[in-house]
Amino acid sequence: MPKMKLEMEVNNRKVVKETDTHKRLIDFLREDLNLTGTKEGCGAGECGTCSVFVDGKLVKSCLMPAAKANGAKIETIEGLAKPGELTPVQKAFHKTGASQCGYCIPGMVMAATACLRENPKAGIEEIKERLGGNICRCTGYTKIFEAVEIARSVVAGEAPAGVLDEDEPLGESYIGHNVRRLDAPSKVTGRLKYAADMKLPDMLQMQVLRSPHAHARIVSIDTSEAEAMDGVACVITADDVPGKDGFGVFVHDQPIMARGKVRHVGEAVAAVAAEDLVTARRALSKIKVEYEVLPGLFDAEEALKPGAPVIHDYAPGNVVKHIPVRKGDVEKGFAEADLILEDDFSTQQVEHAYLEPEAGVAYVDADDVVTVISPSQNITHHRHMLADIIAKPINKVRFIMSPVGGGFGGKEDMIYQGMLALAAMKTHRPVQLNFTREESLIASAKRHPSRVHYRMGLKRDGRITAVEFSMLSDGGAYGMSSEGVMRKAAILSCGPYEIENLKVDTRAVYTNNTPSGAFRTFGGMQAQFATESMMDMAAEALDLDPFEIRRINMMKIGSLTHTQQALKTASLDRVLDAAEKASRWEKGAPKVRGATRQDLDGPDTRKSCTLGARIAAEVSGAEKGQRSGASEKTKDSERVA
Amino acid sequence: MLIYDEYHLPTSLEEALALWADAPEGSRLVSGATDILPWARDGRAGDVHLPALIDVTRIGELRGQKFEKGRVRLGANTVYQDFLTNDTLRRALPCMPHCAIWFADDQIRQQASLAGNLVNASPVADGTPPVVALNGEIELARLEDGEIRRRCVPVVDFIEGPGRTRIQPGEIATAVILDAANGYGGAFQKVGQRRSLVISVACCAALVKTDSSGRVFEDVRLALGGVGPGPMRLSAIESAMRGERVSRALIRRVAAGAGDMVASRSRKEYRREVVVNFVRAALEEALANQPDIEVKFQDAGETVDA
Ligand SMILES: Cc1cc2nc3c(=O)[nH]c(=O)nc-3n(C[C@H](O)[C@H](O)[C@H](O)COP(=O)(O)OP(=O)(O)OC[C@H]3O[C@@H](n4cnc5c(N)ncnc54)[C@H](O)[C@@H]3O)c2cc1C
Ligand code: FES
Ligand code: FES
Repeated sequence: MPKMKLEMEVNNRKVVKETDTHKRLIDFLREDLNLTGTKEGCGAGECGTCSVFVDGKLVKSCLMPAAKANGAKIETIEGLAKPGELTPVQKAFHKTGASQCGYCIPGMVMAATACLRENPKAGIEEIKERLGGNICRCTGYTKIFEAVEIARSVVAGEAPAGVLDEDEPLGESYIGHNVRRLDAPSKVTGRLKYAADMKLPDMLQMQVLRSPHAHARIVSIDTSEAEAMDGVACVITADDVPGKDGFGVFVHDQPIMARGKVRHVGEAVAAVAAEDLVTARRALSKIKVEYEVLPGLFDAEEALKPGAPVIHDYAPGNVVKHIPVRKGDVEKGFAEADLILEDDFSTQQVEHAYLEPEAGVAYVDADDVVTVISPSQNITHHRHMLADIIAKPINKVRFIMSPVGGGFGGKEDMIYQGMLALAAMKTHRPVQLNFTREESLIASAKRHPSRVHYRMGLKRDGRITAVEFSMLSDGGAYGMSSEGVMRKAAILSCGPYEIENLKVDTRAVYTNNTPSGAFRTFGGMQAQFATESMMDMAAEALDLDPFEIRRINMMKIGSLTHTQQALKTASLDRVLDAAEKASRWEKGAPKVRGATRQDLDGPDTRKSCTLGARIAAEVSGAEKGQRSGASEKTKDSERVA
Repeated sequence: MLIYDEYHLPTSLEEALALWADAPEGSRLVSGATDILPWARDGRAGDVHLPALIDVTRIGELRGQKFEKGRVRLGANTVYQDFLTNDTLRRALPCMPHCAIWFADDQIRQQASLAGNLVNASPVADGTPPVVALNGEIELARLEDGEIRRRCVPVVDFIEGPGRTRIQPGEIATAVILDAANGYGGAFQKVGQRRSLVISVACCAALVKTDSSGRVFEDVRLALGGVGPGPMRLSAIESAMRGERVSRALIRRVAAGAGDMVASRSRKEYRREVVVNFVRAALEEALANQPDIEVKFQDAGETVDA
């Protein structure tokens, strides 16, 4: 690899190093200087986890060739404060709880710092705008903006530094009190090591060859040329699995790497561990895979049709799981109804997009314990499954959970830990695999796309007499969490309403789409979208206030849930009261409101996005200010249009 | 992943042109690298191995801006953030700050050059409509018998289609030359999913100048992006408006006509609707943004309907 000598001043220290010519600034900082507070969330300029100052300007270090920064003055998250100290911005992030998983936080702190350096008096709109290049998936930004505003007031001398300290405790209890997170200092300083930040001596880098086909038989895999390359330590395929291959949260239908056939685009087919990333990537292109393309299945309804392609031999009807729930007598319930509403609701696939792409390190220790470090959301289960897969007793398998840079359910599946373990076993060297963002998108599970067919019977007074709820979900190529998701969708199906007569069916089927898995609410959201929409439509049809129709049907103490559990406590009445009050709800059926609504844009609602706070501030005269405000509105409505 | 064996940082144009002329086949020029680096990733070009990159950002001659005969000469190293932070540029190119504030984010704007945006020639580049509205030309330099030769190409002609321009082997873009539009009101419209980090579905730039009474359109400039293979100047609409009384009815009428310009193959109906709304909103905003002139609409009493 051609080398280049780089000289920079990094965090006030002169650095002279020879490194690969093609490295980006982010690589140079992380790999050559071990400054891993700068994170790689996307590698494409889209997320801001890699923000650093170059000659005083904040830039995205994944978009800068290291050579371009030759001679420059660099400031990273590690350089903002002296060891053991925090800057006002870092303190404010600690105070407000602005860091959750923390993966976006070094970049956020850098962006907030840049904002206040550019304009120590920046208003909230300008703060939002200047942080626009940094994405956070955990916090919803509110706490982050709060932190920047507090820091601004201190930096601008408008508030004493004491506002950055922790609030005085209120008596003995923590309840109702702001408690600072214990892990926040490690996150706001960039000191916390996520799996991709870890380095072990003699560590290899892994890269994965993924399927370009949705459904194909693997005729042959020839790894010989890749294996013969200098710097390649091993190539692994399904053939290297010593034990009983197969993992999954419920059904163990997924091999560590494709075995015999591929079932979705992006499925792992082979993996290379090499001395460095470039060699590993070059080796991938030398692996020859011969495929025989099979007819694909891309629609959940098609999957149930007779003669549909079969994705897994064990499930000839392509059904991953069917969960039926029955209560009362639906026929009778519909017969009693004054009104029957019927509709269909569909939701799409959703990616978790945690800021930390999947990453992990595996090694075999001196006692032959196979150890995997990764941000797994389910290490105990992974440990048990891996023990079977690599045919080792459980005491010879160890999982260490590294800080999870966002999971939201998406890191419950063991989609790469097995490959790391196999390569470590084959080489007896530590092996690391860091997904690219593209790889994370293509290979990780998604929220189930679902279709719900809904029938609801109601009395004229708003009481629900019967519900028929039928959900069909696209489980994609592997079972993953589908069973649990269907179970939860069925349990939550008809919402927090007491329904005497119901017939609920939730089904997940196999297709050749990217697998669906766990995602916040675990099927609840898809079901609630349908149920709550039905409630609003019922309110409209019956001329009832949407809160009222919910109160009429809500579960109370003593109610029987859909699965016939008698409730000993219930709080929906209080939830509805609080929501009604907080939203300044105007009573009435949905149809009496519309254009005359007065409850929008209240003092505590989030305002719609504006643009050009810096430009608008300069447009002189109140009248002009109003006009440019009006045009922002136009923009928003067009964007919706 | 982008791999290159050499990275050059020439400091003079001669040096850069000589390096470029002798660079091995497949070498590339680089300015902010905000197009080149994301291009070499999975799903786009994948892993790319180039012999050399020649970085133009340290060439002194490509820095800064000059005013000459009613035109502004922007050195090729002018980046998008300059349109927000440089007051002289803000006044002379009144549509550019509005374009810049929508462009990527503060960090990328520190690196992303206008010249790189034009040479990259994406059909949805934000820079092309305002540049075209400002009668922009791109200046290209090359070495011929050891001498630096320059030529200027109007940007409307320079961009031939998606990713295709008239740049010749051995040429480096040295400047973008635009009308100085001091006294005009400027505006820029863009549709995307969110405020920052979003590539346009379609965009529109407008410049407007009325007489001192604010009643008559003296000059109007309109250009669209993202509605065809290249940027589009709405010259017919512009000339229909020059000399006319400022009125909402006129704006509505020309906006409706602009919808017919959409030549994209995908989402045509949607883009049509967007363009009609954009042209109207851009003209209204540009009028409102005109410095020191109170605009008098002929039909002031009427309310605007979308
Ligand atoms: C996250 C993100 C968001 C973005 N948002 C936007 C957006 O909102 N709107 C938009 O329009 N674009 C956007 N872009 C695209 C990109 O930032 C712009 O096109 C930018 O202007 C490119 O300029 P650059 O200097 O970085 O070009 P580079 O990547 O350095 O180069 C681009 C091309 O121009 C050539 N080139 C560069 N300089 C010269 C020169 N002097 N002479 C000849 N050829 C040259 C290069 O060889 C290359 O082919 C975005 C990119 C990212 C990563
Ligand atoms: S912006 Fe650089 S890693 Fe995402
Ligand atoms: S805290 Fe921001 S992404 Fe997790």
